Amino acid sequence: MRESTKMLLHYITGILMIITGLIHLLANNEPNIGKLITSNVYFYLANMGIFLAALLYHAFNGVRVILIELVPDTCWTKLIGWAILLIGIAAYIVGIQVLLMALGLI
Amino acid sequence: MMEQSSIDLWKPVKVVKLRVYKYNPKKDFFPEWKEYEIEVSRGTTILDALLRIKEEIDPSLSFRYSCGQALCGSCAMMVNGRQMLVCRTRVLEVAHNRDFIELRPLDNFSVIRDLVGDFTPFFEKHRAVKPWIIRKDVEELENPTGEYRQTIEEYARYYQFTDCLKCGACYSACPTVATDHEYLGPQALAQAYRYMVDSRDDGLDERIAIVDSDHGCWRCHFATSCSDVCPKYVDPGQGIQLLKRLIVRRKFGFRPHKPAEVLPSKIGEVKRR
Repeated sequence: MRESTKMLLHYITGILMIITGLIHLLANNEPNIGKLITSNVYFYLANMGIFLAALLYHAFNGVRVILIELVPDTCWTKLIGWAILLIGIAAYIVGIQVLLMALGLI
Repeated sequence: MMEQSSIDLWKPVKVVKLRVYKYNPKKDFFPEWKEYEIEVSRGTTILDALLRIKEEIDPSLSFRYSCGQALCGSCAMMVNGRQMLVCRTRVLEVAHNRDFIELRPLDNFSVIRDLVGDFTPFFEKHRAVKPWIIRKDVEELENPTGEYRQTIEEYARYYQFTDCLKCGACYSACPTVATDHEYLGPQALAQAYRYMVDSRDDGLDERIAIVDSDHGCWRCHFATSCSDVCPKYVDPGQGIQLLKRLIVRRKFGFRPHKPAEVLPSKIGEVKRR
């Protein structure tokens, strides 16, 4: 993947985090809108799933950027990229599991 | 009020202490600071002062300079912690309310000797972005039949970046270069943008492959210290942001321009002296 694609996704996930985070906040703090959002548990799950994915991508890509600037060697750059991707996927699986448990779906 | 004669401008008005970085990596274990006291007049530039020190006090002092009129960019160095061209900076301008002026080589460059930095990586990065016109019609480039058509608006898009002296001040001020030595740097990236938006150029995709890399334009954190120190008021920070926009737009199929057409010319009719 080109660096521009990674960074474009970084910006898009930043915006997604704001939108889905706002929906999450409204669901928990605004009773009228909250009822509307939480009435459909799958909608709420999808929202939180997107929020988690966006948050993890944005945060781990930020860490990747910091690391490849500190360790500029090309070999390390690739290794850092793959390591961060695997840690990110593992964190997402765990996060989704916790979310499903919290919503009582498993 | 009496008018000041031009001779008065060269009368000594103050004794200034110059604190200069001295280091020869081949001989010295540690760098050291050496102080020189010289009389300066209103018109004395730091380069004048350095030349006088070299002639009269310490012939071993090394520094780089060439044109002496802010056109070549060879004499850039750190003056009181800021990147400046010493040929156009007057001593009294920076000595105001200070006991001494501190001179050291540019940051982010390894030292060859005293105030001379090693520009090899800097020029390698400059060359890496192919700072020349690339055309697909090689035949036309090699045997020109005319001139490339370019409007004033097209010229205005890259005009400011043509002023770059390659003095290294922006590269020296860049916080990303300080940590990431493979980062292309503000000078090379701004030059890449300058050629990518030049309507005569057709090398957009070739250059995108170079600047859209792990250590390319996306490593810029937009600190704009490069634009802040540029002695020619070029804005490399803006150039890098425009370059990012250009790359993103290219992903969606936009090209900044069509390569300029050849204008049937009167080259053959013009008598060359």
